[in-house]
Amino acid sequence: MADEVGSEQLEKRAPDTPEPDPIADRSMSGALLVSSLLLIVVMGWSLFDEVIGQRPWKSYQSDFVDKYSTYLKGIKPQQSEAEKEVKDSPEYQELDRAYQGAVKGAESEVKEINSKIRAIDQKVTDITEPFQNARAWVSAKTYELEVAGSESSKKSIQRSIEERRKEKIDISIHNDAGALEDKELDYNELEALYNGLRDEKAQLTARLIEARKEQTEALTERDNYLQNHLTGLTGPQVEQLINKMDKFDYTIKQIHVAEADLVDRCESCHLGVREPVTLTADNKSIGDPAFVSHPNKDLLQIHPPERFGCSTCHGGNGRGTTSVEKAHGRYKHWLWPLYYKENVEAGCNQCHNRDRVTAGADALNQGKDLFQNAGCTGCHRYEGFDRETDALASASQTITQLEMERQARLREIREATDAADKAETNEAARELLRRANSLEQMISKIDNRIDELEIQSKYLMQDRKKVGPNLKEIRAKLRKDWVPVWLRDPQAFRPGTKMPSFRLDDDEIRAISAFIWQSALDVRVAGQPQGDPSHGKELFKTIGCLACHSVDGRAIDLGDGTIGGDFAANLSRVGEKANYDYIVRWIHNPRRRLAPYSPSLKRDLTPADYSQKGQPFVFDEAHSKSPVDGRELLVHNMTVMPNFRLSEQDARDIATFLTSLKRSEPEYPDASFMDDTSLAAQGEILVKRYGCAGCHEIKGLEDEQRIGTELTPEGSKPIERLDFALLTEPAKMGLDPFTGKDVERGKWYDHKGFFENKLRSPGIYDVGKERTPEERLRMPNIYLEEDEITALTTFLLGSVVTALPETIRYSPEGGQKAVQDGWWVVQKYNCMGCHNVLIGQDSVLMGMAMYQTGDGKEQLPPRLTTEGARVNPDWLLKFLKDPSLNNGGGARPVTAQSLAAHLQGEGGQVEQAAYALASQSGANRNGVRAYLKARMPTFNFSPNELQALVNFFMGASSQRQPYIAERLDPLTSDEQGLARALFTSNAAPCLKCHMTGDPAHDAIATAPNFLLAPERLKPAWTERWLVHPELISPGTSMPSQLFVRDDEKDRWIFNGPTPPAFQSYDKDHATLLVRYMFQITPEEQRRLGTGGSSAPAASPVSVNSGPRADRLPRYASVRAP
Amino acid sequence: MDWHQLWEIASAPDNVPIVAMLFLVPFFAWMGFRQARANDKLIDQLEADPQLAKTHHRKTWPWKPHWARELHVWPYLLRIEFLAVLIVTIILYVWSITLNAPLEEPANPNLTMNPSKAPWYFLGLQEMLVYFDPWIAGVVMPTLILVGLMVFPYVDSNPLGVGYYTWKQRKVAIGAFLIGFIMWISLIIIGTFIRGPGWVWFWPGQTWDHNVVLYEINRDLPDIFGITTQPWKGIFGGVVVLLFYVLSGLLIHWIILRSEFEKKIFQRTSLLQYMVFQFFAITVLISMPAKLLARQLFRIKYVWVTTWFNI
Repeated sequence: MADEVGSEQLEKRAPDTPEPDPIADRSMSGALLVSSLLLIVVMGWSLFDEVIGQRPWKSYQSDFVDKYSTYLKGIKPQQSEAEKEVKDSPEYQELDRAYQGAVKGAESEVKEINSKIRAIDQKVTDITEPFQNARAWVSAKTYELEVAGSESSKKSIQRSIEERRKEKIDISIHNDAGALEDKELDYNELEALYNGLRDEKAQLTARLIEARKEQTEALTERDNYLQNHLTGLTGPQVEQLINKMDKFDYTIKQIHVAEADLVDRCESCHLGVREPVTLTADNKSIGDPAFVSHPNKDLLQIHPPERFGCSTCHGGNGRGTTSVEKAHGRYKHWLWPLYYKENVEAGCNQCHNRDRVTAGADALNQGKDLFQNAGCTGCHRYEGFDRETDALASASQTITQLEMERQARLREIREATDAADKAETNEAARELLRRANSLEQMISKIDNRIDELEIQSKYLMQDRKKVGPNLKEIRAKLRKDWVPVWLRDPQAFRPGTKMPSFRLDDDEIRAISAFIWQSALDVRVAGQPQGDPSHGKELFKTIGCLACHSVDGRAIDLGDGTIGGDFAANLSRVGEKANYDYIVRWIHNPRRRLAPYSPSLKRDLTPADYSQKGQPFVFDEAHSKSPVDGRELLVHNMTVMPNFRLSEQDARDIATFLTSLKRSEPEYPDASFMDDTSLAAQGEILVKRYGCAGCHEIKGLEDEQRIGTELTPEGSKPIERLDFALLTEPAKMGLDPFTGKDVERGKWYDHKGFFENKLRSPGIYDVGKERTPEERLRMPNIYLEEDEITALTTFLLGSVVTALPETIRYSPEGGQKAVQDGWWVVQKYNCMGCHNVLIGQDSVLMGMAMYQTGDGKEQLPPRLTTEGARVNPDWLLKFLKDPSLNNGGGARPVTAQSLAAHLQGEGGQVEQAAYALASQSGANRNGVRAYLKARMPTFNFSPNELQALVNFFMGASSQRQPYIAERLDPLTSDEQGLARALFTSNAAPCLKCHMTGDPAHDAIATAPNFLLAPERLKPAWTERWLVHPELISPGTSMPSQLFVRDDEKDRWIFNGPTPPAFQSYDKDHATLLVRYMFQITPEEQRRLGTGGSSAPAASPVSVNSGPRADRLPRYASVRAP
Repeated sequence: MDWHQLWEIASAPDNVPIVAMLFLVPFFAWMGFRQARANDKLIDQLEADPQLAKTHHRKTWPWKPHWARELHVWPYLLRIEFLAVLIVTIILYVWSITLNAPLEEPANPNLTMNPSKAPWYFLGLQEMLVYFDPWIAGVVMPTLILVGLMVFPYVDSNPLGVGYYTWKQRKVAIGAFLIGFIMWISLIIIGTFIRGPGWVWFWPGQTWDHNVVLYEINRDLPDIFGITTQPWKGIFGGVVVLLFYVLSGLLIHWIILRSEFEKKIFQRTSLLQYMVFQFFAITVLISMPAKLLARQLFRIKYVWVTTWFNI
């Protein structure tokens, strides 16, 4: 830029080459050009970033459209081919002809109606505009009238409306001939015409639908046929999908659930999730795992994404669309990252956290099972688990409060009465006395509540279980020198045991052994003669022990490998540790304690406590009150092991067999230090520190609190609250703290990493810390398998405090709620060890080789999938309470007196005798299926659990409560004869398999006694069972197709030769049989038994002298071979 | 050395400005001083040659023939400003594309983040909380800083050095500003890079360990001298503070009057103006670093402990 301002002055001093002016002479074009170009580039970049960079889902969408279209085009010919095949089938042709016929049949009528409708439409169009104009004017004026202020203006508006209504309106309308016609109508006439035309049209439309009904139905039928006979989609459907892809709308696909304040944009990339075609990752034309369909479409059916969204279940940042990492929430600041595939069921627990069992969520359920069965609840509180312990504590607290309140009220009464004595006026005295009176009534209310709470305490104590055995009884139960060996390494002695390993040193083991040994009750149980081990082995194999316990297969002649359930201990080496006499007693009745424990006195009662009050030393369900203070006692061992109602001899046989199970004759190091009283104090401190009392009952530590942290909200704890201790920093950096190498997410610094590492090695976060033994992490090594760690991690990850509204969470009502409540009991007692409770679930026994054979299958405990529909709930309750159906009767009913006498007689001394076996009610029998070798044991459920179980079965079979048995019509004598003929016919020899009460017959019978039916079964179910047993219990030996359908008379008829008398009987044969069964009497059954055979007449021999002998007698008869 | 830790702090989007300042502040200081030196040389030249001073064109460039005496705003100023606008716009574009807003997880009232840090521009204030009571650090000091800045034009009796870079004619003002500004930036840098979990002092390269356990005892100055009861603590502290003010004032006075030029300016300054200047200079510029050093080197918590306030 030339300098024009140059003055003469400067001219004078100008040198030859003037120095250029640093401001005026400098050109900035270069810098400006570069900057401007840079700015343009940067703006281009920002545009790119805006349109593509921040919207990676767009490329996903175009990718999907390409791939999916290609795939669809690929399968189209194939689908068309398949479709053509179906269409060529004669059935389809038939249906198609029917459809075409229907179309033809209705053709003329449809045509006529349609032309009429068209004419009406034309007329309506003609008058719509003038009519609507007039109506709008009237409406506007009417509004004016309504809001007009003064009477006079109201009147004037009224007048103008009237006038307008009378005014003639010019219209031109088509007449029936189709020509336009001018008319003059006033408003009212026009309105009538308009409405009339519309009514007419509505009627015609209805007629049209009616006329087309036949063809619509035929069409539906034809299309359904096609749908049902074609796997996948029809050609047109594929075509439709291809079209959809052609017109694909490239936008964010969003689900908004206002209720839960949820916005999920997952489907912006995961486009295949809800496609009707199932896309899998190994589908070559799809390729990208982001595009696969939801793997469980049924699940999506129950949880439609419109209502539940995606991130509610899966986690992740549903709003995130800028990158995969952001959308999946796997970055530092998103608190709810996408669950890893193996933990995906954690998402279920957010809404299903109150459920013990969530259908389909196997890992989650396994986690919950482990949490309960492995004893986690002993140290960790978790809402719902081990609820009896908490309920019991709160009940006893409430009782204490109520008693204090009672005292206070008593004092008030005294004060009121005293004041009344001194009152100045009669009036005042009366008032005070009235007050004292009402206070007395209040006391009686308090007493009622205390009584109720006491009863609840009794039930809760009955239901409260501990995972480990009662350590008060170990002096009677165990070999002394085995205890330290066990404590050193429980896994070494019994691999897979629930007893974890506490990382104890020698001194600690000595102290703990000494303490628990010295704190145990010092009683010797009555000596028992040896039994027959081979009979014991047979019983052990067959009676049901293996549903919970496992044992080395060789010990029971069933080959190599461990056999049985893992719910309870593996008994392969029980002979190396246990005392035979105690095991006999235990097997005979595991619930029977050595001494009752009084929670109010906080000590075990002794025979002396009883004898002081002149009472026999007897404690059981019926004798559960303390002789000292009248409060409820703990009279059961807190074990889930049920009572198999074995005879004394059988118990001895099994115990003899079990104690013979040894790997070798054990030799243990000397353990005389266990009697060293100086070690006990140290031992007690250790036992308390490690929370042993969480799983075991230990003397003096009955009221110990759980030592672990509560885990109910563990999954939503902020990561900062999970103490990685010295491993925090490397873990945070994404390194493995031990190897220093990079690790992927999910291995260390997140919830999953924390839980998995902790479960794998519970002391891991002590690494590098300088800690005294008291400060160290106390959680023991549990020796979990990897799948168990995954299951527990899933459960813990799902243990979150949810922000979802109650309407979205699962809160079942009625039957479903009963099912969820019942699961807690079903799982607690391992019902599924023997029974098939869920459809698709196999019991432990069902999986065993010995139950695979034909005869073996007959021996399987019954399937309970339809139990609620099958049985009367009242009966079920009674049965679950006492599966021998002995109802308190039995060979020797147990009463306090008889038991005491029995005990007195045997040992001479009460204390000694108390440990002898008491005979028990309903010994050695099954109530319903006496033919099964497996025995339904007595679980001593409390009424709470009984009711929960009954409700469970009723709810699971969609049965409503209360159930009142329907009255069946009594049989006429004709019907009686017919039914009897059916019952005994050779085509259906019912009594061949069903029990009759004859011991010889029952030994080979494979089905229950008919005499139980009226009380036990529901008639509707029974009829279904007769007609289709194979649907209810696949593989049952009950013959199917006993009846065939008679469509003509809409009934089932017997599928076999029927006596001629049936010719005239036109009612349902199955119903007849059910009615007969429900009214069968013992005499009738006996008559059938003898009548059906050529054997000599049977003589009834009652073997049951119980109170219900009249209803359930037993008959013996000799049958011809 | 834990470079990962250092990188994590330095690379946090929140800290871009303060990291940039580490480089920008020295750079612009250097640029300013370079210009000031050139100008000072020119001033010397013009003072030596009164004739030249009369004909000299533009204030800040040595005289050259052919140069215009004055230049128009358009285009000579505006084109430079326009270029600056372009460059700043480019920087902002790139910044906003590459670094997203540093949003964090939803707030959890049950969980305080540790370290819990203010935005970078407030970290100086937060760091001051270590050395003073919240009342002093959070209210009194910021107020004094603001009032001090407002007061400056009124206590300034120097007619020279306005509108161009110069060191010679503006030693006091530039020196005071630099001390204050560098102090402020240093506090922010300490707050950003040095303070880790628990507001513990971690040197750069040390891991910010949440489990760190330290043994540090901070005492009040009177306690060191065995004075532990009121009102003696208050009186002792008051005397110390007063002494500190007097000594600092004398120090400042001595430093200022070492320059002949400043002596002349001092002559033009009224007593009130000078006292006000001294007060703010001591309170804002001297006491803050003094307290920081007393705390960090001698573990002194408070100097002046009274029942109403602590300094």
